[in-house]
Amino acid sequence: MRRLVLITVLALALVLPVFAQADTLTALTPAEVPVLLKPPAHGERILAIWALDCAYCESNMQALARLQRAHPHEITLVTIATDDIAQRQAIEQRLHHAGLDNYPARAYAATTPDRTNFLIDPNWGGETPRTLLIRADGTHLGISGELTPQQLQKLH
Amino acid sequence: MRKLILALLLCLLPVTVMAHDMSGMAMSHEPELGASAAFDAHGRLWVVDAADGHIRVRHSDDFGKTLSPPVIVNPVAERIYDDGENRPKIASGPKGELYVSWSQPRAKPWTGYVRFSSSMDGGRHFSTPITVQHDLADITHRFDALAVDGHGRVVIAWIDKRDQEAAKAKGQPYLGAAVYYSWSDNEGRSFAPDHKLMEHSCECCRIALARTPSGEVTAFFRGVFGDNIRDHAYALLPTNGTAAHAERATFNDWHIAACPHQGPGLAVGANGVRHAVWYEAKNGPVIWYGQLDPGHPAKHKLKIGGSGAGHADVAVHDHTVWVAWNQVDARGYTLMLRRSTDNGVHFDAARAISQVAGAAGSPQLLLWQGRAYVAWNTSTDFRLVPAEVQ
Repeated sequence: MRRLVLITVLALALVLPVFAQADTLTALTPAEVPVLLKPPAHGERILAIWALDCAYCESNMQALARLQRAHPHEITLVTIATDDIAQRQAIEQRLHHAGLDNYPARAYAATTPDRTNFLIDPNWGGETPRTLLIRADGTHLGISGELTPQQLQKLH
Repeated sequence: MRKLILALLLCLLPVTVMAHDMSGMAMSHEPELGASAAFDAHGRLWVVDAADGHIRVRHSDDFGKTLSPPVIVNPVAERIYDDGENRPKIASGPKGELYVSWSQPRAKPWTGYVRFSSSMDGGRHFSTPITVQHDLADITHRFDALAVDGHGRVVIAWIDKRDQEAAKAKGQPYLGAAVYYSWSDNEGRSFAPDHKLMEHSCECCRIALARTPSGEVTAFFRGVFGDNIRDHAYALLPTNGTAAHAERATFNDWHIAACPHQGPGLAVGANGVRHAVWYEAKNGPVIWYGQLDPGHPAKHKLKIGGSGAGHADVAVHDHTVWVAWNQVDARGYTLMLRRSTDNGVHFDAARAISQVAGAAGSPQLLLWQGRAYVAWNTSTDFRLVPAEVQ
């Protein structure tokens, strides 16, 4: 029996990495943007928008991840790379390196980001990081740039 | 039982390996839309872009209606930055020389080398690519910008993080990156040592280069001023060994720790007026036109575009100034144009001159015999759109 448990544990240990990739990177097409922007049933959805070129984005996403972990039942966090999903390998590596691969991750399905940027928020010109907070009551808050501690406090 | 455990291990191994391989697999995809174009002295249009690790050059003798088969610049494939702000560049010299530059990502994130090749036989063959910058550390040397000065020198500027790295090594803070440049007196066979243009530049916005009436190359680029104010600087690029002197030239006071991914545009008229376009979003996205007066706010400032407007470029001939930009909405990309016939004091209403439902790269204004054209690389085709109704 003990050995059966051992086998089961071993098997799970081997299979788990496959499931850990359940939040693997998926493409974000313009048609899917309205679903992301739909108010959540309760609490808040935070879109952490970033780019491979952005020097401020990883620390910003990590700060948002800390906020999400502090309020796991109220906040859902989705990371969105404005880079073309054709750069999947680089995007996934960067998310993994930043310890962010447990969050749903999207990347633009577009060779240029501007149209998807506009659909996500017409009052945003594409600078990253960009944080978009969507509340259950349908209100939005968009902030460009690395969030200050004061701005982070305002998010929840 | 041990055998059973081993067998189970072996059975499961391929599953995890496969899952890992798939996650790291590069998807085949359409080429990125980062392309550049230039007219040579004979009116032949040259277009450069990247595909499958190769820089490729095509030409057109009918103003972009048909393009030649591509000539490969780098026979050995390499990684290439080819997005809108970091696209391959092409310029033509006074004797028909063709110069091409691009940025090559290195293994680590945010790193790059500035690469260069030339053709002395009208684009039939290109020289073996060389690395332009002398500092070969695996750090940022990318977002190259290319120009030819009035003496035929090749001038290249780029964003460089050597000063940031040096500060980091000493445990000191450093805002942004820096702009460095170099030049070649021998048609690109070799480049002068790296020269610093300005410390504390933005990290990922293209640099605009233009030629002054006296033939010098001048730069307009996003800097970091004070405590992360992302305004722009203007500087001549001396090629006689004297130190460059960059001055702040926009004063929007956009205070932000972010990468705007939108560099400016610059064109200098025969009368020396510095026509510029730039992006800032202190109170929402705005594309500005203005005439630079380094050290002071720009003159004749005009809001060119707002929500959905981006990646503007500017050109000038005599007293006519053109500004082109991308306007996006839910339907796709529209190429927009405004024209001034009084040297930028007043502009006509904005006109849509081309549209695409898919995607489009940043527009680039080109001049040929006093007429303006916009090079526009779309997901459908490459277009050279006349600025005037013909």
